[in-house]
Amino acid sequence: MTFILETKKLKRTGYLPAFLGAGIISCAFPVVNMLARSETFTSLPGNPFEILMDANWQMMAMLNILITICGACIMYHTEYADNGALKMDTLPVKPIRLFFCKFLITAEILAAIILFQIIVLTGCAVYWFPDSAFDFLTILKTAGFEWLVSLPTVTLMLLISSMCKNMWISLGAGVILVFTFSIFPQDNFVLRLLPFSAPYQTLSMADENVHIQLFCMVCVLQTAVLYLGETLYVKARRYLA
Amino acid sequence: MSVFSLLLVELKKIRRSKIFLILMIPVMMMWIPSTINAKMNFDVRGIPITPENNFFIQGFMGMTWFMIPATLVIGTVLLTQTERSQNGILKMLSLPVRTSTLCLTKFAVLIFLSMVQMVFCIGAYYASAAIASQLQNYNFILNPSFVCVNALALYWGAVPMAAVFWMFAILIKTPVFSVGLGLVSIVPSVLVIHTKMWFVYPMSYPFYLLMVQYGKAAEGMYATQIDRMPWLPVAVIITVLALAVSCIRFGASERR
Repeated sequence: MTFILETKKLKRTGYLPAFLGAGIISCAFPVVNMLARSETFTSLPGNPFEILMDANWQMMAMLNILITICGACIMYHTEYADNGALKMDTLPVKPIRLFFCKFLITAEILAAIILFQIIVLTGCAVYWFPDSAFDFLTILKTAGFEWLVSLPTVTLMLLISSMCKNMWISLGAGVILVFTFSIFPQDNFVLRLLPFSAPYQTLSMADENVHIQLFCMVCVLQTAVLYLGETLYVKARRYLA
Repeated sequence: MSVFSLLLVELKKIRRSKIFLILMIPVMMMWIPSTINAKMNFDVRGIPITPENNFFIQGFMGMTWFMIPATLVIGTVLLTQTERSQNGILKMLSLPVRTSTLCLTKFAVLIFLSMVQMVFCIGAYYASAAIASQLQNYNFILNPSFVCVNALALYWGAVPMAAVFWMFAILIKTPVFSVGLGLVSIVPSVLVIHTKMWFVYPMSYPFYLLMVQYGKAAEGMYATQIDRMPWLPVAVIITVLALAVSCIRFGASERR
């Protein structure tokens, strides 16, 4: 019930078209890159798919993070803008359930976008590199990994936007986090595990250092902890307000 | 109402918005790592650049590439959303003030916010350069006129972009689109400045100006001269056009 309500709320905010638009732009990225300078990449040795991932994923992941921030801000903006959150509080619905549904929606859309992005990247590899073929297992594995490592970012961003009544503050906080993690040195391993930094990780990069399991575990753990944080925040808000 | 008092009213509106905090935190975030890692500026990897220039350019790099545009997007959200609750904008539109004046005043506030960030940025640069000089026993501090002129040029180069973002915010009433469009348009500027047509893409201007500065400090990295000729007229046209469109459409959905 709450889930259907949540999707209805988003209907006129342009949430879905915005995500689709961002998804299409990010998918256009590797295609344009290959059209412009395919020789730079086709001459490189190694696995074609991994070459393309290394060349394009940073930008694509950044677009994913930015649209996640934007989406999270909008989701809570609709609640706070006309005191909708107060009305929701009077309903027999637990506030944490709202959060869970919002998380579920974002995670689903993000999964679709990431899967699409990986398919496009594979398509580029097949088109421009003679000796590569569609391998559905790799596609699913990569997409699953990239999705999982972006979940803590989604949760943290939703947590921030649930805390800020004004949209510019949650947006500002999200943008500052993106900025901070983009300037911190990339060679620090602990930093790379954190939300807003983990989505840039590619599967092959994690595979090289035998970190796939670690990444998956840490990201699931972070998501759970942040979810718990929201539960506590919702409880605390009731007592403080 | 005079333009000046209108400006004061607009500034009063954002007094409690905590926007100055949002302007200040990224500046500090930018300079703390570069102070701690100041040693890395000596490792120039064969690029002919002096450590103090390297410190300045590396520090400003993240700022111009990502944070100046992002701040402008946040600023447009602030300006459009503060008056959304209780229909504040309707009351403003009913005052005997021309809507285009109102629109331009709000734009001036947007520019003012980015100038405030510039001042923070210059201040933070000097603080971190002084600390880094102490830590590394090497003088990282550059001539104040050089730093101020360059920082001013970077932020001045952001004005056409601000006009375009402001136009987005006014034309597109759904915030997810205007914000999303603004944020997404930041990302390609890294690629655009390496093409010949960079001057038609206002989001890349500040980054271009910084890269030219990099080219001046280190031979052969990038162009050493700013290509003024097609750029300045195009930038002026983009700015004027964007502001004209936003003045015409300002408050249109409320007046209907």
